[in-house]
Amino acid sequence: MKTTHLSPWEQEECIIDRPTPQMLRHLNECAQCRGAVEGLERSTAIFRGAAMEWSVESLAARPRQLQVPGGARRPVTALRWAIAAALPLVLMVLVFLGLHPSPRPIRPVATIHTASDAGNTDDALLEQVDEQLSVAVPASMESLTHLVSTGSGSGPGADARGGKPIVQIN
Amino acid sequence: MGALEQLIQIGEKAAEPVRDRMIAELGDVNTLCATYRSRIYRYALLSLRDADQADSVTQDCLLRAYRARDEFRGDCSVATWLTRIATNLIRDATRSRKFQFWKTASAVEVGALADRLRSPGISPETSLVVREELAKVWDAVDKLPGKQRSVFLLRFVEEMELPEIAAAMGLHVGTVKSHLHRALTAVRKAKERTR
Repeated sequence: MKTTHLSPWEQEECIIDRPTPQMLRHLNECAQCRGAVEGLERSTAIFRGAAMEWSVESLAARPRQLQVPGGARRPVTALRWAIAAALPLVLMVLVFLGLHPSPRPIRPVATIHTASDAGNTDDALLEQVDEQLSVAVPASMESLTHLVSTGSGSGPGADARGGKPIVQIN
Repeated sequence: MGALEQLIQIGEKAAEPVRDRMIAELGDVNTLCATYRSRIYRYALLSLRDADQADSVTQDCLLRAYRARDEFRGDCSVATWLTRIATNLIRDATRSRKFQFWKTASAVEVGALADRLRSPGISPETSLVVREELAKVWDAVDKLPGKQRSVFLLRFVEEMELPEIAAAMGLHVGTVKSHLHRALTAVRKAKERTR
């Protein structure tokens, strides 16, 4: 009888592949190793049973969609990818529209005059004033320059102090 | 012609009817679906733990097999060939799922599954033990790396032989055994952890 127990690797080997005759002989004689191997077998069997149960139940809830070989059903994942790809684009468009609501024409709020502009305007204004002043008779009084004399000397219309005649506007 | 070549020819001739039968099986999509759908779906469901994705993988797998039936060489069984296609699809689905941050995997009611496993004569104490054990194993398998989990599922759920698993996964038999040992070690440790 083999005194040393089977190593964990040897115990696993018993259910992975076929055990060697030595392993089998030891298992027949050693309850401890037999129990360990049976424990592993039981675990995998329980897992298999649950897996089968779950799979059958899950498959029963699904229709058989593989009917026409020419028309492959588009996988659900492809649609999800399309949505995932489109979402950032939509968000970018929305953000862009939010920043620029409508294409309005740009209107200047105020004209900024620089110092040189102001100087030019002042010079033009002064020149205009000079022109006005340089004229002998202002435009508003130009009609007074065309006077018509109605008499001279000491007539009834003559000024008593200077002897100048009274004028009449044409 | 040498004896070895003659033997190879005899073997090839003997394999021809089997191959023809397999190709005929692949040629009828309804037969293909009826025979292998539940098996592929189960493998995908347990690998991905998502019914929608498992359904999508199953349909893709069967359609791909149907369309590529002329490329099937017959050097392995149809089930192994389909498992290989499904393994690749599951791997792709797992990769793409890493980016699906909005999708949360539906939790499996392990307790409810354990209750359904209960046979009529079982005592409540034993039922509780089974439920706890299933929860530990279920969790341990869920945490296994992808290849270890696939190999574990193919061996202990689909009950495939090691060479079949190796062919389906594109691995050496020794590598398959190594993955299985690691997976079983994880299961054993999970059972002992909270004992």
